[in-house]
Amino acid sequence: MNTDAAPEPGEAEIAADLVRRIAAGDAAAEGELVLRYSRGLLYLLRRLGAPPELAQDLHQETLRIGLERLRRRGLDEPAGLAGFLRGTARNLIIAERRKNARRRTDADDEELAQAVHPAPSQLSAVLQDEEAETVRRLIGELPTDRDRQLLLRFYVAEEEKETICSDLGLDSLHFNRVLFRARQRFKELLERESRPAPAS
Amino acid sequence: MDHTYIEEHQVVDRYLMGRLSPEEAGGFEEHYLSCQECLDRLEVTESLERGFKRAAGQDAARLAATRQLAVVVWLTRLSRSRQAAALLVALFVVLAVPGVLSYRELASTRAALERERIAASSRTTAEAERLRAELDASHRDLASEREAHSRAAEQLAQALRPQANVPILFLNAERGGASGGEPTFRLHLPAEAGWAVFALAIDPPHHPGYRAVLRDARGREVWSGADLRLNEQESLSLSLPSTLLVPGDYTLAVEGLAPGRRPVPAGRFTFRVLPAA
Repeated sequence: MNTDAAPEPGEAEIAADLVRRIAAGDAAAEGELVLRYSRGLLYLLRRLGAPPELAQDLHQETLRIGLERLRRRGLDEPAGLAGFLRGTARNLIIAERRKNARRRTDADDEELAQAVHPAPSQLSAVLQDEEAETVRRLIGELPTDRDRQLLLRFYVAEEEKETICSDLGLDSLHFNRVLFRARQRFKELLERESRPAPAS
Repeated sequence: MDHTYIEEHQVVDRYLMGRLSPEEAGGFEEHYLSCQECLDRLEVTESLERGFKRAAGQDAARLAATRQLAVVVWLTRLSRSRQAAALLVALFVVLAVPGVLSYRELASTRAALERERIAASSRTTAEAERLRAELDASHRDLASEREAHSRAAEQLAQALRPQANVPILFLNAERGGASGGEPTFRLHLPAEAGWAVFALAIDPPHHPGYRAVLRDARGREVWSGADLRLNEQESLSLSLPSTLLVPGDYTLAVEGLAPGRRPVPAGRFTFRVLPAA
């Protein structure tokens, strides 16, 4: 993968269009921007360790900062809108961590870690148990022990694809196919579980 | 970054595992900020990974099948070289344990054989000693037999030689029951071992046969003989080796024998043996 390459043409064109329109005062474009990047920013902030409430705050702040910048002076590279938003979100969470660290005179590592990575709530624990049960069901449906070995070694042991393929005598295509099908089936099972039971 | 690349390189999974390079991670993050498809894939994969790890963690606390999973996880976490080392250790244990047991059994067998050898050696020594003792006893017995044979042969030879100066004692039966006095008849033993002849006069009624018993002064039987017959002088003649007699008083009791009848006393003769003159 060439990391220096430009984003997908579709994304680049869309981003550039949004930057131009927002700079032109197009309010709809601002709405489109929020709709387009909101979910991604939330996810990114959670991946960076922000708890759900903080992630919401920071995602809002990111969008605000982004829109203000676009309204005032736009971007030097309009196609790099996603990169700009990503950078803004990361800077905000880093600043938040520093702010939390400065607030405590005697650094309580556990409290700080809890603020950034809070322990799962009871509801989360129930949801995670549900995920575990769905995984067991998924493993039970697998046709071969080799596929089970593949998933266990990849997701639990986090082993490299090349090593797994070499040990199990698989090619890359088979490996990708097993992962893809496992993901699809897992999604189906999860959605089936979350679907409300039909009224009797 | 397009979806073909993302799928082929398991970018989603590796991103969640934190195994993308900073450049790759940045590029993917910029991509999924606006990609609903990848965000869906991220959320599902995150849930899937969480489910796997949680299931593995839960199952690890159970007994049976979970142990296999933990072993697989542990093994797969090892580097290839460590996996090979773990396999070698397992193979060594599998091969070495029987070898060690065999060696210990062999050593035990050797020790048992050595003990048996020592015991056998002891038994052999004891047996040899016993046989040696028996041989010595046999030698002594043989020597005694030879000595006795030699004496007997000498006596026989002497007996076969013509005898001269043979003491002869003519005896008459005592009259009137057991005598309390000294014997009337006396016999000097010969200077050298030889014979002593006794001639016993037997009064009638005579019998077809007789038997005689010689006793010393203490009543011990010194000699007895049967199938004795009278000669032409109506007396019994006895030749006894002189070595049978030692100086002292003796009594010869004679009984007449007849078929179908009880023995009948035929006379009692006393004499004194004196040392050689």
